[in-house]
Amino acid sequence: MEEEQEDLPNPNQASEKTLDAASRKHAAMLERLANRKQSLSSRKPSSDSNPDSFESTHSFLSRFSQSKLSIDSDLSRSKSKSDLDRVSISISDLEKLVAENSYFLPSYEVRTCLKTISDLKQTVENVTSEIVPKKKFGFKNKKASTGFVPEIEPEIQAFEQEKPSYPIRELPGFREKENEVLVKEFEGSEIGEFTISDLNFCEVRLKGCLRALFVHRLRNCKVYVGSVFGSVLIEEVEGCVFVLASHQIRIHHARESDFYLRARSRPIIEDCNGVRFAPYCLSYDGIERDLREANLEEETGNWANVDDFRWLRAVQSPNWSVLPENERVGGVTISNLDE
Amino acid sequence: MGLLSIIRKIKRKEKEMRILMVGLDNSGKTTIVLKINGEDTSVISPTLGFNIKTMTYNKYTLNIWDVGGQRTIRSYWRNYFEQTDGLVWVVDSSDLRRLDDCKFELHNILKEERLSGASLLILANKQDIQGALSPDEMAKVLNLDAMDKTRHWKIMGCSAYTGDGLLEGFDWLVQDIASRIYVLD
Ligand SMILES: Nc1nc2c(ncn2[C@@H]2O[C@H](COP(=O)(O)OP(=O)(O)OP(=O)(O)O)[C@@H](O)[C@H]2O)c(=O)[nH]1
Ligand SMILES: [Mg+2]
Repeated sequence: MEEEQEDLPNPNQASEKTLDAASRKHAAMLERLANRKQSLSSRKPSSDSNPDSFESTHSFLSRFSQSKLSIDSDLSRSKSKSDLDRVSISISDLEKLVAENSYFLPSYEVRTCLKTISDLKQTVENVTSEIVPKKKFGFKNKKASTGFVPEIEPEIQAFEQEKPSYPIRELPGFREKENEVLVKEFEGSEIGEFTISDLNFCEVRLKGCLRALFVHRLRNCKVYVGSVFGSVLIEEVEGCVFVLASHQIRIHHARESDFYLRARSRPIIEDCNGVRFAPYCLSYDGIERDLREANLEEETGNWANVDDFRWLRAVQSPNWSVLPENERVGGVTISNLDE
Repeated sequence: MGLLSIIRKIKRKEKEMRILMVGLDNSGKTTIVLKINGEDTSVISPTLGFNIKTMTYNKYTLNIWDVGGQRTIRSYWRNYFEQTDGLVWVVDSSDLRRLDDCKFELHNILKEERLSGASLLILANKQDIQGALSPDEMAKVLNLDAMDKTRHWKIMGCSAYTGDGLLEGFDWLVQDIASRIYVLD
């Protein structure tokens, strides 16, 4: 594999020349990979028939670039609707290729490929409208020509008029508190969701096992959570410390906060900055049992595998970092006492 | 549906349906797809791009596109509209705070001309959670009655966790699509 890799073009600056030089080698390599893949297929995570899977980012990308080039040239030669239909099919195949391989591709590559596909589709659309004159009246032009037609269509307006749009319902939670210690223990059978919102300078301790946790608008709080057998959604927090274990963790609009996590999947952040991550470090009487019950007893190391949806580059996101060991709290022990 | 789209349907591979699953992040799309496909649902990451599952359902082949719902990538949804026969909108019935967001995104997508012929299944997911909105309440909140009268749609309560309601929902969807596009059989 090593000798082949250095010949592979860098996908981000793939020029026709390098691809050309590499393409013959690739054909041979793809064949070998395909053979190798057959022997590996028994241990593949999904039982889907996946003939297009290579499990190698480099070979995937070179194949992607080749297809892209050939679509580009087909596109430039397209003269009729049926030419374009054929190009559309090739684009769909390319898209499928990305989907089938996305389980092992780095996130940056997935996003780059999606963008490429999106651009190709746009080009097809543009060329189509040149070749095939539109038969329909163009509603889209209306706005531009009059300049006064409101953008919101009647249907949508109807939706926005109704103000109190959802039933006010008391879901379990801690809300609108300041300077308090808030403690809740979940018993084995009573599994539900829990909300903590609009807190300032509070300490929250949730023990036991819960199914879903929503966190919204917290400032300067400490939040300690046993185990969440489902997902945690954290939005709009600032100056907080979280210690929690959950199957899934999504963090939106967080600033200057520290997260001590255990997660079964990769934590994700979106629109965050100054957030730092460290491994889970909570203890209380019976926490092992709670973690086991939620399948969270294992340290997966995922606390450091953060995906930033706002940062699509291969290099480290500037929005989050690993909390340096000498700045971590040594470990947090909580009890039911309010102190 | 115009003549062109009818011709397109006939030309297509027989008995194939393209189904697009969208909805806010965390609503349970990936879990639902894996559940109906009988796969392990114990480790699922938030979807960064999309997944495709091809599965046989009754006598049809379903191509299910499960697209991530994080805000940053919602703009990619439009890449998948073309040739969609069925649209599945998944909503977390216990996430009351983001219902406005959900309603907005749903109606945004329904404006889309390329989806105007698609049957719409709304899955009010996470019914197993105490305090979740019922499908009736959800229909009111999302103001589904205000939808274009020509749209074929149904709302269904479900739980990807227990599996309740999923097959019933997909049965309706597949039947509805079949009755529209395979009428020429
Ligand atoms: N209690 C309960 N939890 C559910 C149910 N369906 C999904 N979940 C949980 O909800 C969380 C989100 O599920 P996903 O399937 O990842 O959601 P998604 O819609 O694919 O999210 P994105 O990929 O980010 O768009 C997971 O922790 C699931 O375990 C359900 O019916 N009941
Ligand atoms: Mg998903």
